[in-house]
This record gives sequence, structure tokens and C-alpha cells, in this order.
Amino acid sequence: MFNPFDFAAHPGRAYMVATLLPLVPVLLLLIAATIRNMARSRSHTDSFASRVYWLFGGDQPLKTGGYLSLVFLLASFGLSVWGLLNFFEESQTLHDQPKELAARWSERGDWLRIGSAKGEHRPAAALQTGYRIDQLTALMFAMVTGIGSLIFLYSLGYMRQETDETVDDHAAHTTRRGRFGRFYLYLSLFAFSMLNLLIADNLFQVFVGWELVGVCSFFLIGFYYERKSASTAANKAFIVNRVGDAGLLIGIAIAFATFGTLNFQDLAEKIAGSQPDEMSHGLWVLMGLGLFVGCVGKSAQVPLQTWLPDAMEGPTPVSALIHAATMVAAGVYLVGRCYPLFAPEVFLTIAYCGLITLFLSATVALVMTDIKRVLAFSTCSQLGFMMLALGVGAWTAGLLHLLTHAFFKALLFLGAGSVIHGCHHEQDLRQMGGLRRKMPITAFTMLVGVLAISGTPFFSGWYSKDQILSSALGYSVAHNQHALLFFGPLIAAGMTAFYMFRLWFLAFTGTPRNATVYSQARESPFTMTLPLIVLALGSLGIAWGWPLWDAEASFLGHKLHEGEPALMSRAFAHSRELAEEHHLAAGGLALLAALLGAGYAWSRYGRTAPTAEQLKEPTGLLANRWYFDDLYDFAFLRGSQRLAKLSANVDRSGPNQAKRFTLDGLMSGCASIAMVGGQYLRMTQTGQVRQYVLVLALTLVSVLWMLSVFVR
Amino acid sequence: MADVGLVPFQILAAFLFACGVACFVTKRNAIGLLMGVELVLNAANLNLVAAARFVPGLRIEGQVFAVIVIVLAAAEAAVALAIFLNFYNNYATVDVDQANESKG
Repeated sequence: MFNPFDFAAHPGRAYMVATLLPLVPVLLLLIAATIRNMARSRSHTDSFASRVYWLFGGDQPLKTGGYLSLVFLLASFGLSVWGLLNFFEESQTLHDQPKELAARWSERGDWLRIGSAKGEHRPAAALQTGYRIDQLTALMFAMVTGIGSLIFLYSLGYMRQETDETVDDHAAHTTRRGRFGRFYLYLSLFAFSMLNLLIADNLFQVFVGWELVGVCSFFLIGFYYERKSASTAANKAFIVNRVGDAGLLIGIAIAFATFGTLNFQDLAEKIAGSQPDEMSHGLWVLMGLGLFVGCVGKSAQVPLQTWLPDAMEGPTPVSALIHAATMVAAGVYLVGRCYPLFAPEVFLTIAYCGLITLFLSATVALVMTDIKRVLAFSTCSQLGFMMLALGVGAWTAGLLHLLTHAFFKALLFLGAGSVIHGCHHEQDLRQMGGLRRKMPITAFTMLVGVLAISGTPFFSGWYSKDQILSSALGYSVAHNQHALLFFGPLIAAGMTAFYMFRLWFLAFTGTPRNATVYSQARESPFTMTLPLIVLALGSLGIAWGWPLWDAEASFLGHKLHEGEPALMSRAFAHSRELAEEHHLAAGGLALLAALLGAGYAWSRYGRTAPTAEQLKEPTGLLANRWYFDDLYDFAFLRGSQRLAKLSANVDRSGPNQAKRFTLDGLMSGCASIAMVGGQYLRMTQTGQVRQYVLVLALTLVSVLWMLSVFVR
Repeated sequence: MADVGLVPFQILAAFLFACGVACFVTKRNAIGLLMGVELVLNAANLNLVAAARFVPGLRIEGQVFAVIVIVLAAAEAAVALAIFLNFYNNYATVDVDQANESKG
């Protein structure tokens, strides 16, 4: 008998239960919504139905769904903390018995058996489900549930408007009912999908979670679907992600066809560092590239980065949870998980893809004026840092940055949300200024986030960014032709400091530039500021270790390092040694770059009030995001749209000449052949008996003749 | 009675059949048409009975078929007469050439 609560023998099952917990509010909300809708349609005629409708809140959306989701996610967080502590303890005690440890913290079972039919040569294969907890999963799980809980709490305040009977959507010029329950339904479904993705021990289950988070992201970007821009952005995110998912599916298919299994452990053992015997080198590279393309789509790397800035159309808590802290990090996470499966060429691709992304996105963030867009491009850029780190073999540094980034980016987004909420949905930085005096908690928690992302010493971002840069320096010293892999991120680190301080100065210091916005601004309620404070503490201290001034001493980093795939640390041993050697130089240079960036931002925006020249609408290459959107518009959209319009027109009302060659024309042709044939055939039905007899006789004669000729 | 063999019966049946066909091809009167059909059916009956008598191996099958054909002919005549009666009621004629309302 399978007992999911048998935590003593299988402590990993705590994670399974924790994954399934957010599914409970999803189901409850779905059932409640169904009952409520059924009751509403009958509430005019049936008194029982109207009482049920009243019980479920009537026309006013209930807050219950939000509290319910929060409680279940908090329970999940509690379980994950319990699991984290237990796992770290056991990974110490069972350090020399990895099998024992794995048996306690992972399980799997067949889900679908395929290919064992009679007469088939292939051995029977199965798609499995299972979970495997290691250092990375345990930490990510705690991070996702923890930050998720804070954002659920924050949303109680931020989405309060949605509990109103009628909501005026000024952007879409409509009035609609509040959609509070639906918001939490999507968020809970997202939490479940994301956790499923994290604990999965095989690529197929990852793919299922991958698609589920994708669809939740689609729902939530398009949450204000009455707005044209929101629904377009949702479509864009979904479609661009499909491109990446096609690559992921190709990678999975190659892995399954070659090895007959999708389990990470089995695959890693079969591939084992050098080229595996079962597949050619080209196929191996292709598999890695396929998996990586999936991660490129999900983590918004060049060339599939265009969806992330547009995804900011969703509510701000969604931007914080899905499009900054967790879902977009899934790509980085998957690269981390698939680390032993990649060929050397794939690592180089990952590094350069990250480099291009972090540089391009950082430059665009310099000129953006929408507070959320700045953060969105900064997210792209930071994800690029992580990818670059993974590409140069700095597994720990990349994933440490993933964890710390989740904290300070969630903090920055929630802070931005607090500003937007306080300023009555004003997102333009040029309309703000001086808000520090109106919303001090938001301003100073955000300052912590800004300092952390810029890489200020002793803030969490410093520990991870310092490790990334020293690894990049080590790699470029070891391979001189790849020197760009160090200088790119170094310059981008300076730009990061510049655009983050620019954002903070523009929003919170100086004199108010728009009197109306300033006079209406107020500090957000407690449910929103509490998550800000908690996240600020996390952004400050999450990566601390002893001694505090040593970036290598981060406790979180050490824990993560224990989970590093052993094979790869050998492959990159040389560049690691060099990284240790040049650690101080890299750290110093990074600090210098950040200082320069921050100082320049201060001289432009902080010291004196920004001039009108500096605040005018940005134009040119950067404001147009390096023309990526225009390129795709030109290369893919315009052609296919024109073709679609042409086909539609031909089908609908085009000239008959052209119509004959279309599918529609073919169908009409078949129909008209039958019609014309019928018109001629009906003439034989004359009603004259003699003619019928004549035909009958002729038929008889010809049949007899044929029989006599052909049948011997 | 001398055994005349199968052939004379077949000749007679063929003659009857030809008469029946000629009748329902030429007649325009519905009743005449029906008579022609009866002749054709009886030609077939004659063939069946004669075959049962003269073909070795057959014993009673021909007679059984003939009886069935007679029953069916009676039924067919009843239905056909009912149709013609209705036709006559509506059109005051039994000329089958007038019955061309449902032609294509």
C-alpha cells in the first residue's frame, strides 16, 4: 500500500505532498466556480439556488479563494523547509553512501508502457514519473514556495480591486466583474506546475510541468484580456515559447530514441562525460542544443527574448513571481539539471547565448522609461549572466545567482508594483519623482534590491555575481579567444548598476515631476509592505556566510556546491583553478564597474534634477530594442499574415480563375461535378414504360453477350 | 402419354414470354399491361414445372417455385390494380403514358 505520508522511510514524499498541495485550492476553486455559475443562472427563479449563490458571494467575488491558496502554499512551504533541513542533515550523515541517500529521497514508477507489442524488436520502454531531491531541487523548492507565499500575500492587497462587484478597466474602456478567484486559481495552478517541474526526475515530467507553467503564464499575462495589448502579449509569449518547446521536444525525442530512458540519473550515467557509444557526436550535440533551445525560449534568451518585456502586461505580482523569480528561471534550472548531458560545443553555445542576451538587454534597459520594462530587461540580462556562468562551467555560481536573483528581482518587482499601486497605475518613471517621502518603506526596501542587483558587497547579489565574473575571467584566461566572455558581463555589470540606480533616482528622489501623481501617491497597505520587508531581508542576507567579506564563503553557495555534478568539475578544472587565482582581480573590476555605473547614474539623475533633454521620449536603436521585434515582424509575421489574408480573400470572394486552384475551389469542383452529372442523368427518367423496357432489353442482351464472350 | 421431352415446353414458354413482352410494350391501357405481365410470369411457371419434370435430380422444386410465383402474381396484381384504381380516380384515365408526373 502506497502511503504518501510515510515521511520516516521516504522523507522525499514530503516534497511530493508539498507539490500536490497547491492543486487542492485549484480544484476547490473550480468546483466553487461551477456551483456558483449554475446557481447564478437559476437564482431568479429558484430560491434555493439564489441562497446558494448568496453563500458563494453573490455578485461580489469572495476573498476566500485567495486565503485558501495562501494557506495551502504556506503549508507547502512549511513542508519544503522541513524537507530542506532534513535533507541537508542526511546529506551530511549519509555523505559516503550516495545510494542510501538517493533511495530515501527519490522514487519512480512507470506511468505509460510503450513498445512491448508481440513481434517488436525494440525492448519495452516506459515513460516514468518520479521525484528526486538533491541540493538544487531542495533549495529551489524552498525558494519557489517561500517567494510564492510572499507574493500570494502581496496579491491579497494588490489585487484588492478585483474583489469589487464592478471593476472599471480604464485601459480597455470597459466595466467588468472582479476576477479575484480566477487570479488565485491560475496562481495556484502555476505553483503546482512549477513544483512538479522542480521535483521531476525525468525529462518527460519536466516537459509536462514546462507546458503547464507556460499555459499559466499565458493565462496570467492575458489576465486583463479586454485590453488588446494584454491579449496580444499573451499570444506572443505563448507562440514564442512554442518555438523553444519544439527544440526541447526534439532533444527529448533524441534522448529517448537513443537511450530508451528519460531519467536524469540514467541519462547521465549513460553519457558519462565523454562521448557516449550509442550516438554519433553530431547527434549528441543536437540533443544538447535541442534541450537548450527549450531553455532559451523559457528563460527569454536571444533570439527568443522578445516575449518577456511584453509579458509585463500581466498584473505586477505575476511579473514578480512568474516572469522574474520562478518560471523564467526554469530554463536556467533545466540547463543546470541537464548539465551532464551536454556536449562541449553546447556549453560554448550556452555561454555565448548568455553573453549576447546579457549585453543586449542591459543596453535596452538603459533607456526604458516604463518602470516594469526596465525590470523586465534587467531580468533578461540577469538570466543571461546565469546562462553565461553555466556555459563556462560555473554551475554553482550560475545557480546561486538564480537563487539570489529570485529574491532581489521579486523584491524589485513587488516594489514597482507598490509604486504603481500607490500612484494609481502610473508606470512611467518620468511622471514620478520624490516618492521617497510618500512611500518610505517601498523606497528603502527597493534600495536594498537595487544595491543587491548592482553587486554591492555584503548584499546577496554580490556573492553570486562575483563568482560568475571570476569564473568568466578564469575561463577567458584559459581560452584566450573567448576573452569577450569576461568583458561582456563586466561592462553589463556597470550598466546594471547604472540603470537600476537611474530607476531608483527617477522614482524616489528629486522633486515631483507630476503634481497630480505625487499628491495622490500613498504607501501601500500592510499585506504589500510585509512581503517587501521580508524579501529585502532575504536580498540582503540570503547568501551570507562566514567570513562575510569573502564572496566564496557563501553558505548557500557551499550547500549548492555539494549538489554539483561531479563530472563537470573535472572538465572545467583548469579554468576553475585560474578563476581562483584571478578571483580578486575579477571582484575588484566588477566593483569598479558597478561604482562607475552607479556614480554616473547619480551624476545624471541623483545630484541634480534631470533635465527635460534627459527625459524626452527615447528613440533609436536601444529604444527599439535592437529592432528584434521589427525583424521578426518583417521576417515571419508580415509574410505569413499577407499569405493568410490572401488565402482568406481568395476563398471568400476571389476571381473564379484563381479560385479553381485553391482547396476551396477543389471542394466546390467536386460538388459541381455531382450536380451537373445529376442534371443530365435525370433526363433518362422519362416516365415512358416502353423506353424502360427497351433499356431493360438492351441491358439484358448486352449482359448475355458479355457473358458469352468473357465467360468460357 | 408419350414423353415429348423438355424442348417443346421451352418453345411454348418462350412464345408465351414473347407474347407477354409484346403485350406490355405495345399496350397503353394499364389493364392490358397487367395482362402482359401475367403472361410473362406464366411463361416462367411453365419453364419451372417442365424443368422439374424432365431434368434429372429435380423432383418437386419446380412446382414449389411455380406455386410461390402464382401467389406473388396474385399479390402483385392486387397491388397494381389498387394503384390503377387510384390513378383512374385522379386522372379519369388508365393510359400509362399519362402517368409521367415524376419524370426527371
